[in-house]
Order: sequence, then C-alpha cells, then structure tokens
Amino acid sequence: MEEVIKVKNLTKSYGGTIAVDGLSFSVLRGMVFGLLGANGAGKSTTIECLLGTKKPDGGTVAVLDRNTKSQRKELFEQVGVQFQEANFQDKITVMELCEVTATLYKNAADARELLRQFGLVDKAKRFVSDLSGGERQRLFIVFALLPNPQVVFLDELTTGLDAKARRDVWKLLSDLKDKGVTILLTSHFMDEVEALCDKICILKHGQAVFYGTVAEAVASSPCNQFEDAYLWYTKEETDDEAISHHA
Amino acid sequence: MKPFLTMLKIEWKLSLRGMDMVIFAICMPLVVFILIGMIYGSKPAFPGARFTFLEQSFGALTTISICAGGVMGLPLVVSEYRSRKILRRFQVTPVSPAMILSVQLMIYTLYSLLSLGLLYLTGRLFFGISLRGSLLAFLGSYLLVLLTMLSIGMLVGGLAPNPKIAGVIASLLYFPMLLFSGATLPYEVMPLGLQRASDLLPLTQGIKLLKVTSLGLPINHVVLPIMIMLALTTVCIGVSLKYFKWE
Repeated sequence: MEEVIKVKNLTKSYGGTIAVDGLSFSVLRGMVFGLLGANGAGKSTTIECLLGTKKPDGGTVAVLDRNTKSQRKELFEQVGVQFQEANFQDKITVMELCEVTATLYKNAADARELLRQFGLVDKAKRFVSDLSGGERQRLFIVFALLPNPQVVFLDELTTGLDAKARRDVWKLLSDLKDKGVTILLTSHFMDEVEALCDKICILKHGQAVFYGTVAEAVASSPCNQFEDAYLWYTKEETDDEAISHHA
Repeated sequence: MKPFLTMLKIEWKLSLRGMDMVIFAICMPLVVFILIGMIYGSKPAFPGARFTFLEQSFGALTTISICAGGVMGLPLVVSEYRSRKILRRFQVTPVSPAMILSVQLMIYTLYSLLSLGLLYLTGRLFFGISLRGSLLAFLGSYLLVLLTMLSIGMLVGGLAPNPKIAGVIASLLYFPMLLFSGATLPYEVMPLGLQRASDLLPLTQGIKLLKVTSLGLPINHVVLPIMIMLALTTVCIGVSLKYFKWE
C-alpha cells in the first residue's frame, strides 16, 4: 500500500524548547490515523511541519510525495485542512466563505451539498461570526472537504460539538474513508479515536511513546480500557516516581 | 481568472460592508470637492488665469481617495488578515500570495477610480469644470500616483508586525499627506515655508504632476518627480514581495 504521509526523524524546537523530537511514522492510503497526546505534546507542530506552515529543524516530511514548498500549489489541490482555530474575515457569510474557498480549487466539491450533509444549509446566509461554536466547527470541516481531497488533516476535529453532532461527523468521516480518502486527525476524545482510527501514535514531549493500533495499545499496557491505556502512556514520570517512592 | 474575480467580488462586498472606505475614499473627497466648489465657485485660480480655482484643485482632490485606500485601507487589511491568521488558512490552499495581494490592490484601485469618476461628473455637471490638458497624460499621471501610494501601503502592511503598529504607521503617513501635500488644503494657499516642507512628500510631487496634466500647463520639471515616484514604487513593491509572510 502506498504511503501517503511520511514522517522521518522529525525534529522541531522553538527557541530552545523541543516541540517534536525525532518523530517517525507513516500513513497508508485510505487509513484514518490518530495523532494523540496532551496539549503541548507536539501534535499541532507535527501537522504544521507536514503542511509546510512550519519548517522542520531536522528530519524529512512528505505528503503525497510532494514538497510542501516547491510543490505547494499541486499539493494543496489534493489536501484539505481544518485548523484548530477558525480564521475568517469580518462580516462574511457562510456561503460567501464557501464560495471564496471553493474557487481556489480546480475540482471543488459542491459547497451547498456539503453544507447540507453537515446540517448547515439553512445557515448559508448567516454571518460566520454569528454561528455557534459547534456550527463553526462543522463549517471548518466542510472547508477541509471542499477540495475533494485525497488527504484530510483535522486538528481537534470534534471539540465543541455535542454528542449527536459528533456521531454525525464520525459517520461522514467513515464514508470518506470508504471512498479511499486518507485522514490524519488529532483528538482528545478516546471514544472517537477508538471508533475511527486504524492506527495511532501517542506523543509525549514530542516523542512517540506508542505507535500501532488501538487494540495493540491496550494489549501492551496493563489496562483493559483504551482511555486508561492512553492515560497510562501519557502519564508524567514525576508521578511514577512519586508513586514508586510511596510504594 | 475566475478565482481572482470571485475573490474580488466577495472581498469587495466585505469592504463595502465595512463602510470605512465608502466614507473616506468616496464620500470625503466628494464633500471637500463640493465645499471648495461652493467657496471658490468659478473664480479664476489667480487674476488673469485661464482656469478656475476648482479646476486647479481637481487633480489634488482626486488623490484623497488614493491616499485613503493606499496608505490606510490596504496596509490595515493586509496586516489584519495576517495577524488573524486568515492568510495562514490561504497558505494551505493552492492560492498564491500574489493573487491575494492583487485582489486587495484591485479593490483600492476600484475605489479610487470610482471617486475620480464621481468628482469629474460632479464638477462637470454642477461647476462647469473641464479637463484642459491631455486625458492620456492625466490618466497616466493618475495611475502612477495610485501605484506609488499602493506600493507604500503594501510595504507598510507587509512589514508591520501587527495591526496596531500598521495602524500607527498608516496614520503617520495618511494625515500629514492628506493635510500637507495639497490633497485637501490647496497647496497654493499654503505659506511658503509649508510649501517647501510639503515638497518633500511623495504625494505633493504626484499632485503637481496631476495639476500640470489636468490643466494642460507646459510640462517642465516633471522628470524628477516621475523618477522619484517610480523609484519609490519599485523599492516598495520589491521589498514587500521579498519579505511577504503568511503569518
């Protein structure tokens, strides 16, 4: 199977603080890959290096075998991105923002149809700034899907969504996966990761502490539940020491 | 071409909704023009002059809109789009920075041309002014002044670290130019000392050029102002493209 996303020995630090430290993983075509870890573990930095919005200090990254700098244009015809924070112009309506985003791509999807799928079609004429947090989050997933992408990056996919909306988004992502779209997501919801991800990488202080499937993650930990296993992998050493001292 | 036009259409709508440019680039020049027209009527510019005071001021008044768009509107919008990370969202699409900038340049060009047309029609219909010089020479000078002011704006928007500083620099450029280059307060009524100081502003040179070409006066001493403006434009555009930053 083709490796759509490749990360090898990626290193990135900000003024002495190491954000990502020798990280390697790869994502095969049609796979849903979860990048997990506490806030500040290096998830967003890894995504930014993959997208070329941040420059790696060391190591190599590749998406669809293209260089994010010299082949930016071709690459982003095939790649959809949802950032953690939503950024949009003042006083712009949902439909206008869809229209202006869709026009940037050669083979854009039908914006109205995507809005319908995400339950936003009746909000088309509203200002984006007037949407609720959950509506805005869904809208930004719509933008990630507008290019008809082969690869989708979703940073904190369902943060701010209610239970029903989360399930709807899961369903839509499963459909995308069935169509062969490759998805890289970050999430703080372990039920979501269990339901969606074929493979995960758990980050701690910029290093991978686990890389494999959810089932493997549970099996190689002393826990029975994935969420417990995740917490076990990401537990701070200082806690460990404190416990072992008391024991 | 279609992405450019779609972006232009939507950014134009957003700009109109913002109202600032409607006030400063369309209404304000018209108000000043009508006031000067009412005060000086069709009096000759000086005893024995072949043209009226209002005709003499026409060239200067057409730059109020250029000034508002070029050194106020453009730098603020570019700086704001960067700091609010709207440009970063564009960075993960196939669009080029040149296109985003040219859409904004086109918007302020449209405002300026609209204001020019409006002033000319008002002058023609209500104050009986006419363009005594060559239309081609006038329009050429007009475009040069527009280009120079827009390039200054691009530089400020491109280099200012945040919208606050961009706002301060824009004000420092806008208000002195508006008041002391002859755009609003006629150069001819300024005391000699002020005229000397005013000569140092690039817009003053541009306005002289516009006056000479609109009044059909002999074209002497214009090579230097033209060279200065062209040099300034080249430097500003070069620097702002070289140091363009998405965030």
